[in-house]
Amino acid sequence: MTTGQHIPVSALQPGSECIIHSLGSDEKTARRLAQMGILPGTHLHIIRVAPLGGTIEAAADQGQNVALRREEVTAMDCEPVAIPLDSGLIAVDRPYKVRMLLGGKTFRRRIQEKGIEEGTRILIQNSQARPFPIRLVDRNTEINLGRGEAEKIIVEVIDDEQSES
Amino acid sequence: MNNLKAEPVTVALAAIPNSGKTTLFNRLTGSSQTTGNWPGVSVEQKKGSFTLGEFPITLIDLPGAYALSPVTEEERVVRDYFLRTPPTIILNLLDARNLYRSLGLTLQLALSGLPMVVAVNMMDEARQQGIEPDFHVLAQHLGVPVVGISAKTGEGIPDLKKSLYGVIQHPEKTRTAHISCPPLLEKAFAQVTEAINQSGITTRLNPTFLAMRLLEEDDPRPWIKDNQTAALVRDWRNRVESSLKTSIPIVCAGCRFNAARGLVMETLKEQPVLEDRLSKKLDHIFLHRLFGLPIFFLLMFILFQGIYGLGSPLQNLLAAGFDSLGSRMASWPVYLALPTLLQSFLLDGLWQGMSVVISFFPLIALFFLFMSIIEDSGYMARAAFLMDRIMHHLGLDGKAFISLLLGYGCNVPAIMGTRILSSTYGRTLTMLLIPFTLCTARLQVFVFLAAMFFSATTAPWVILLLYICSFAAVLAMGLLLKSFHIGGDPEPFIMEMPPYRMPTLRSIGLRTWYEMKDFLFRAATLIVAGVLTVWLLTHMPPDVAAGSGATWAGQLGRMLAPVFQPLGIDWQETVALIFGFIAKEIVVGGLAVIYGGTDLTLQMTSHISPLQSVSFMLFCLLYTPCVATIAAIWSESRSVRITLLALVSGLALAWVTGFLFYQSVLLLGLR
Repeated sequence: MTTGQHIPVSALQPGSECIIHSLGSDEKTARRLAQMGILPGTHLHIIRVAPLGGTIEAAADQGQNVALRREEVTAMDCEPVAIPLDSGLIAVDRPYKVRMLLGGKTFRRRIQEKGIEEGTRILIQNSQARPFPIRLVDRNTEINLGRGEAEKIIVEVIDDEQSES
Repeated sequence: MNNLKAEPVTVALAAIPNSGKTTLFNRLTGSSQTTGNWPGVSVEQKKGSFTLGEFPITLIDLPGAYALSPVTEEERVVRDYFLRTPPTIILNLLDARNLYRSLGLTLQLALSGLPMVVAVNMMDEARQQGIEPDFHVLAQHLGVPVVGISAKTGEGIPDLKKSLYGVIQHPEKTRTAHISCPPLLEKAFAQVTEAINQSGITTRLNPTFLAMRLLEEDDPRPWIKDNQTAALVRDWRNRVESSLKTSIPIVCAGCRFNAARGLVMETLKEQPVLEDRLSKKLDHIFLHRLFGLPIFFLLMFILFQGIYGLGSPLQNLLAAGFDSLGSRMASWPVYLALPTLLQSFLLDGLWQGMSVVISFFPLIALFFLFMSIIEDSGYMARAAFLMDRIMHHLGLDGKAFISLLLGYGCNVPAIMGTRILSSTYGRTLTMLLIPFTLCTARLQVFVFLAAMFFSATTAPWVILLLYICSFAAVLAMGLLLKSFHIGGDPEPFIMEMPPYRMPTLRSIGLRTWYEMKDFLFRAATLIVAGVLTVWLLTHMPPDVAAGSGATWAGQLGRMLAPVFQPLGIDWQETVALIFGFIAKEIVVGGLAVIYGGTDLTLQMTSHISPLQSVSFMLFCLLYTPCVATIAAIWSESRSVRITLLALVSGLALAWVTGFLFYQSVLLLGLR
């Protein structure tokens, strides 16, 4: 298991998720979270970002919804599980599954025409190139995504056993 | 066993925030409530009473707390209460919609050794989500009676009373549930418990519970006199924390919530929990990326108009009613038979003071009516979420934005409303910033003076300048007070987003009623005293004309002339400012009294330049708030330091601003 990972600000988008490994070094914040039942091992699901940015709403496993500041989440040791395609944390040659498409109907339609929808399995072979080259695992084809498109696609890690099946 | 008959039984109501504690408190105690502050802090204390059979019960409403190892001022109050004055019985309230969240505190309280009853609230709403807890299982694990209730509908309240009654009759100590912790910590608990047992402390609390509290404290010394035990506690704390690399309160929270998770599973038998679809849908609208803020501002506009659009005319009507009643009384033979000075004291002093107090009632009623709706419905947390980004530069959360905004209507209810803020830091800072907001009373003065000194096209710009100045003052003072750590340090902003709920008429009505009663009892005396002081200053010595230069106020004005001269303010206006302490709108009336002529406009424009008038308005905006505001600050903070700071900071900022404005204008060669 990877530890010492801090989820970057750019990855805190609706649909993102991370597993808390430690609550961060600020004792007051850590204590408050712990006493609310948000502890190491808890999955944090980002629900939304406030219109002015800076503040996010997250849901913990047991159904508590909390609002907290971006810095408080980035200060935690929180291992990313689902992140935007554009966040720079995507591992090369590892399959991911599309979890959520941010953006409106037009975006959804455009991206569907390219063959991407919720549940689509994808693989990235070069994370530096722009436009973003993506391999659609099930169709065995390659497509290109613009930067604006990539940041609106939230993908999640697929467990190794699952990806082999 | 002691015979408890006729002896009052103290029941402490403890719960984590957003569990519906206030609703249950109101449900149980009805109208027999008293409010005050917990000693030494700006945290509200509510007590109420009711009877159970032959027992008179005193119910103490403890502030919402997530745990007994405190992070917030509220939680410190709760910890102090349990350690210093343990109640006869604990009544712990849980939220059925999320038992896991609530159980963290319950598992801590269950170890206290005090008799306890657990009430699981919001059963009506939980049922709609398919949640049906097995209370029998919960009761068995916790070793205390568990009752399902809905404080909102009254469901289960008779059962709860029956359980409480049973526990009072047979106050068995709770059978301590064991929560497993890391072995080293368990050993620490055992050793400290042993030391406590041997030190011969007599307490109703369970020694293990006491050991846990001591180990979770940053410093055990205030709680234990025995030096040897204190040293042992410190020693173990260091050992555990360096070995586990986490502070003990966090380790303990982990142990409790592990137990809570298992307990919830057994209690709910893993029935599927339906999500709260209404909240999800409403959040989709109210927190929308694009529409969330416009909706917020629209709601704030409605809130502002609802309070002040309705309240201000009522306030004026009441004040006018008081005036006409006063002048009618002035023609009574009994009144006319009194010496002139006593006449004036009664009418311009006492009557005026009462008029100020009473005229605030419509505003306060409307304010708390609307605020209760916003708070009880769950929108307040959403508003805080939306505005957090802007406010957190001052270390405040989004709720403070609403308090400050409402200050632009009237400072008094806005300050009373700071009690909804979640942290002491936030309350103190907001309370000190609200006096710099340009309230409608000040606006009346400015509109009057601007029309007098400026043309119809320039006057609105002057008013706009004053508004900008007020925003700047709030911001600047906020940063200044933050850097001086007034009110302590900002608390971490981690806020629960409660589900939306329909507010009930009953709770809104009760809240509004108590706030009005509270204002009368807590602030009225100070307001009347303030008005009487101003009366003394402007009417003494007895043989001179009221408000003239020969009065004490006039003498004071002349004495202070050198101080105000660099601001371009003459002694006449200084006297008017003294009048303005009663209520800012009285400044205009004060000016009329002092100049005493028939054509005030001519007299003033020939005496004061337009730029001097701006300097005067700036001073008027920022200086010491009116007596009702000061009284509100005092009654909310119960702190001489904070109240004096409000007085002094306003005066200082007003002087500096007036000085800078007037002197720079002179330097630029304008006059």
